Parts: sequence; C-alpha cells; structure tokens
Amino acid sequence: MKIDRPPTIALFPEASFGAALNCVGIAQALRDRGARPVFICHGGFSGVFADYGFQEYHLPAAGTPSDTANYWQDFIKRHLPHFDMSPIDQIETYVAPTWEAIVDTAVEAEAPLGQLLARIRPDVVVLDNVVMFPAIAAAGCPWVRVVSCAETELPDAAVPPYLSGLAAADEAGRRAFEARYLAATEKVHARFNAFRAETGLKPLPRGQFLEASPDLNLLLTPTIVKYERKVPLDAERFFYLEGCVRSEAPFQIPDFPRNKGPLVYVSFGSLGALDVKLIQRMLDVFAGLPARFLVNVGGMRDAYEAVPDNVHLDAWFPQPSVVQKSDLFIHHGGNNSFCEALYFGTPSLIMPYCWDGHDNARRAEETGVGRRLDRARWTPEDLSAAILGLLGDEAMRERLAANGEAMRRRPGTARAADAILSLVTNVPSKVRG
Amino acid sequence: MPSVVKLPRKNHLDLAQRILEVARQQGMRPGAHLPEQQLATLCNVSRTPIRAALKVLAERGVATRESDAGYRLAVDLSLPADFDSGLPRAEEAALADAILRDRAARRLGGTITVTELMRRYNADRRTVLKAVLSLTDDDILQRAPGQSWVFRPIPDSPQSIAASFEYRLLLEPAAVLVPGFQLDGVKAAALRHGMEALLSRPDSEFGTREFQRLDIEFHRLIAQGCANPFIADALAGHLRLRELPGHAGSVNVFRLRQSTQEHLGILDNLEARQYEVAADLLKVHLRLSGNQRPQAANRGAPPLQGLIRRLV
Repeated sequence: MKIDRPPTIALFPEASFGAALNCVGIAQALRDRGARPVFICHGGFSGVFADYGFQEYHLPAAGTPSDTANYWQDFIKRHLPHFDMSPIDQIETYVAPTWEAIVDTAVEAEAPLGQLLARIRPDVVVLDNVVMFPAIAAAGCPWVRVVSCAETELPDAAVPPYLSGLAAADEAGRRAFEARYLAATEKVHARFNAFRAETGLKPLPRGQFLEASPDLNLLLTPTIVKYERKVPLDAERFFYLEGCVRSEAPFQIPDFPRNKGPLVYVSFGSLGALDVKLIQRMLDVFAGLPARFLVNVGGMRDAYEAVPDNVHLDAWFPQPSVVQKSDLFIHHGGNNSFCEALYFGTPSLIMPYCWDGHDNARRAEETGVGRRLDRARWTPEDLSAAILGLLGDEAMRERLAANGEAMRRRPGTARAADAILSLVTNVPSKVRG
Repeated sequence: MPSVVKLPRKNHLDLAQRILEVARQQGMRPGAHLPEQQLATLCNVSRTPIRAALKVLAERGVATRESDAGYRLAVDLSLPADFDSGLPRAEEAALADAILRDRAARRLGGTITVTELMRRYNADRRTVLKAVLSLTDDDILQRAPGQSWVFRPIPDSPQSIAASFEYRLLLEPAAVLVPGFQLDGVKAAALRHGMEALLSRPDSEFGTREFQRLDIEFHRLIAQGCANPFIADALAGHLRLRELPGHAGSVNVFRLRQSTQEHLGILDNLEARQYEVAADLLKVHLRLSGNQRPQAANRGAPPLQGLIRRLV
C-alpha cells in the first residue's frame, strides 16, 4: 500500500534573524497547506524554530559559548567604527572580512549538511542565504533560492551594485565601487571557487557567491520599490513575493507615563541593539518630541538610565504586530524590516549600518516610501525634522496604505508556499497547493 | 509629570479581595448572603472595615446591597472572570505599579529616594512611603544607607530570566512532590475554563495579557497547593516577580497555545493525583518555556547566547 505522506520541505536560513524569521513565515504557510516544513539551522538558533512549532535539525556549532562571547566582544570593538563609514569604504574594512567568514561557514557546513540532508530526505530544500552550499545541489531534489536581501543581490546593468547604496543612474559611482569590490573580494572568491570545484560545482563569476537555482528563485522585493532591469528575470524561475511577513501574536501597546501622540517603533536588529551610544543619543531627541517610542534594545536594557517618559524599552518585540500598529518605523534597512514596513503601509526612516541596508535606504528615498539618515552624521535637529516630516507626510501615508492593502491581499508567504509546493512531484491530495 | 489619581484605601481593597477568597473557599453561589459578622470572624477584623470592603465590592458590581438583608454575592466565582483584578487599585498600590513600570523601562535608576518619587509622581510623602514599603515587603526594594532604596534583581534580562527558570525548575516540581499536595479545586476549575476559552480564540484575537494572567495564576496554584510552607512561600515570592512589567518576553501564538495545553495536561494529572507525572510534565513545560533567542546574530558570525559586556 502506498503511504500518502506530506512532503517534507527543508528550510535552511542563514544564522541571522532576517532570514530565519522570513523562513518562519514561509514555513507557517507551508504548514497551513498540509506540508511538513523542517528547519536546518546553526546550533545557536536552537529553539527559535521549535517555538513556532517546527522540527529543527542543527549543524554542529564550532567553539564554546565562551568563544562566541569573545568573538562578539571583538566583533563589536572592531566593526562598530566601520559602520560609520560610507558603503565604499566598508568594502575592505567590513564587507571583505565578512565574505571570508561566510565562506568559512559554507566550507565547515558541507559535510554535516550533506549527512543531514541524507537523513531528512526532503522533497524540496529552501536556501535563504547569500552563499551556496554545494551539498544542497547534491541533495537529489529541487532547491529554492530565497533572495531575502534587497533586489540588488541579483546583478543587472540597470540595478546599482549590491551593498553600494548608490542610485541606479550613478555610473561613475558604479565603476569606482565595482573596481574596489572586485579587488577586495578577489582572494576569498578564488578560495570559494576552489572549494566549489572540489565538490563538482562550476565556478561563479567574479564577485558572486551564490548562483540562481535552476528550479525556483523567490525575491521578497515589493513592486513599489522594484527596479526596471535591463535584462528581465526569467518569469518561469523568478517569483516576486511582495514581501514575506510571518504571523505573530497581537501586540498590546504598553502604558507610557506620557501616553500621547503617534507611535514610533525603533529597531536596528540584534546587531544594531548593541550600539548603545547611538540609541542613547536618539532617546535624548525622542524626549522632546510629541510621540511615543518603542525601542528594541536587545539584552542591553541595563545600559540605559533616565529613559524619557514617552519611551518604552524592551528586549524583543513581535515586530510584524508592532509595525502594524506604528505610524513610523525607524530601522537599519534590513530587508525583512523594510518589507514589513511596506506590508503594513508604515513609512520608514532608515539609518543603515552595513550590507544591503545601504541599498534599501537609497531605494526608500528614490521611490518615496521613506527617508534615509546617515547614522554617524546627524544633529538632533536633523533627526527631529526627519521624524516629524515623515509623521506629517499625509500623501506618503495614503500611498503606502493603499500599497500595503494590495500587498496583504495575497501575502508573500502564501505565494512562496504555493510556488515551493509546485516543485513537489506526487503531492498528496490532502496537501493544498 | 506622571501622577496617580485618588483611589480607595488599600486596606479596604485588600479586605475586599480576602472576602472574595473566603466566598470562593465556601463555595458561595450567586445570590448567596454575605454575612458581615461571619466574614469579620473569618477575616479576623471588626465589622466596620468589612462593611467598607463590601461597599467597594458593590461599587464594582461584584456584590449587591439589599437594605434589610445586607449584601449578597452578585457573580459566579467559579467562572474564569477575573473579579479581583477588576477591583480598583489603591492609591499606594497604583503608585507601586507606576514605580515598577518605570523601573522596568529604566525611567527610574537602580536607587531611588522618597523625595525623588514625590516629585516625579506628584504624590505626598505618606503615599510614597506606603508604596515603597509594600515593594520592600515584596522583596523588590531593599533599604539602603541614608534615605534611599535599591531595586533588587528582577527577571528582566536574558541572564536573570534564565536564572529564574533554573530556580523554578528546582522548586516547582518539588512543590508538587512533597507529600500532602492539595489542589484548590474551585480555582483549578476556574483556571481550566479560562484556558479553554483562550485556546478557542483565533490567533488574531489571542490575548497575550490574558495568557500572562492565566500563566501566573496557574503557577501560583501550584505554589499554594504545596504542603511545605517554606517551599510555598519561596515560590509565591518568586512568582510575584513574574507579574512585574518588563518581565514578559513576547512569544509567538504557537508557543503560547502549546504552553496553555501543557498547563491543562499538568492540571489533568494534578486532579487525578498523579503527582509524579504532573511534576515531570511541569519540568518539561518549564524547560520549553525557558528557551531564549540568541542575543545577537549576523551573517558569517556564530549566534550569541547570553549577554555582551557594554563597550560603548
């Protein structure tokens, strides 16, 4: 007798909250359709996916918790000053060293990942990362690439270079950025191609670390911020999800001693929460504004004193539910945060640190869905003006509200789940496609 | 400047809550007579404060007054409605809440003085002192040299929350296993109703505050049932800290539902007097609930569990 088992979809997000929680949204939609989503993750994310009700398989973590704590102390000491630099000056200081670390993770994961995939025997693998893991290509099933960074991650002559924060029309800027980027990443790229060759994969063009999937590629990019590409993406293999927002518990707004005014949510992600100096400067400005502020400070709550009466600090917020109730979202330009703001029709004030945050900040300004503020160079007057300007921009608010409504009509999580399940052969009848 | 509105006296409110507790224990049904003298004896006070407390209950619709027969119970105490929290807060209790809220949000520093609090909350010295002393009684504040008080550690950071779960893992299963555990059947039934009602709601209407209230009540029920008074006291004191603002970590609906189902499973076994099974399930429940997210994550970096020292 043939067993009618639900298809197993193995989701493998990189060890960052953006990709992890984006995949949670897709997994929730897959589960709703009767599939069996499971997660492959770094040991440090233990329990994150289980809390949403998903089976986890862990890759072995290198080093002890104490090694990790020391790593982060060094990371912050070394890189916080780099986050004040322009995108082009981050190439050698932050971007190239990060690519070295990313390639290390791919090399270390190869053998255990291959063993895990052989055990799980998934029907489809979903990879949400910026680097290729050859074991996935060898898993013997279709694989999906989720492009959860900005659209710039997929190169095109009409799209600014990835991580550059440039405007599409800035040709001189493009040439200068690309030259430095390719030079700085040449060594790590050669190392990665050599590793690929050992596993039987073809080399990738200079500057690229992940190929498109031959089966399916999912981009978070909503239409409102999409670029006109010189060479359009193949519609058979590339799907735009219009954001990809997970479901969280309804958020109940806390009681503020000064309980009046619009609600502003501030989160720079777990990395940005470590920058106490920046957030403290911002709190001093918030104190004088006629609004209420929810501020994500991660585990750093004890670093703050005399917090203003219109500010509420917390270690973690159920972000989608908070953004839904907010009048403005101040964030670092992480693509998940940016897409959540668009999904709920909330304007963004983007203060980017690094990576594609620069690209999203530029794009928000170009497309009129928010503003950009240099995190290292602002005065209290600049920050006040940006916040009050966005809160008072009724035209932007109306446009974003209409766009959010359209995005919510067919959520990206549902589009992603349907597209992924279309790759499964012999889908059981009880699994809704 | 934050201020606290004029509210009923704390002793009358405490007594009103005590009357509800007595009525529950006596299994009183709606319409039951609330005899002043009997309540005064059971609560160990005179009839005058009992009369004032009954008036507070009548103002909240929990009791009704009949001119000749005195007061009657107006509600069904076996249902999950939270009549106790529906009572108004006393002035000093409301001030204590505001102090805790502002400490959790780091609007107040780790050390406070009465003068500072009088200025901040526009309150008189007597009210502030009462609020401070009640927080001291709850082991939240500690007297420091001079005219200042210091906040004791509360579970509001990843490390202190982990320590709190460690403590509860040691004591809560033990509380169930001490011979003589007694489950309060009336409260258990009310809790069961409440949890089942919560589970019946769709995700979009799932009340996280309602979950938190039921969660605290459930674990308090276990502490109260313990036959060893020292363990019961230690747990009750610690559980009080879980009610504080700043403690509640937001969790997704899936886990909150799962957690509620775990509560119901433990309750089933406590009611069936399967104490060893209940204690084992309680351990599993606490281990799952104590799970924490990494404090920092970034591409190419190992996710960080635990805290990082302040560098900037």
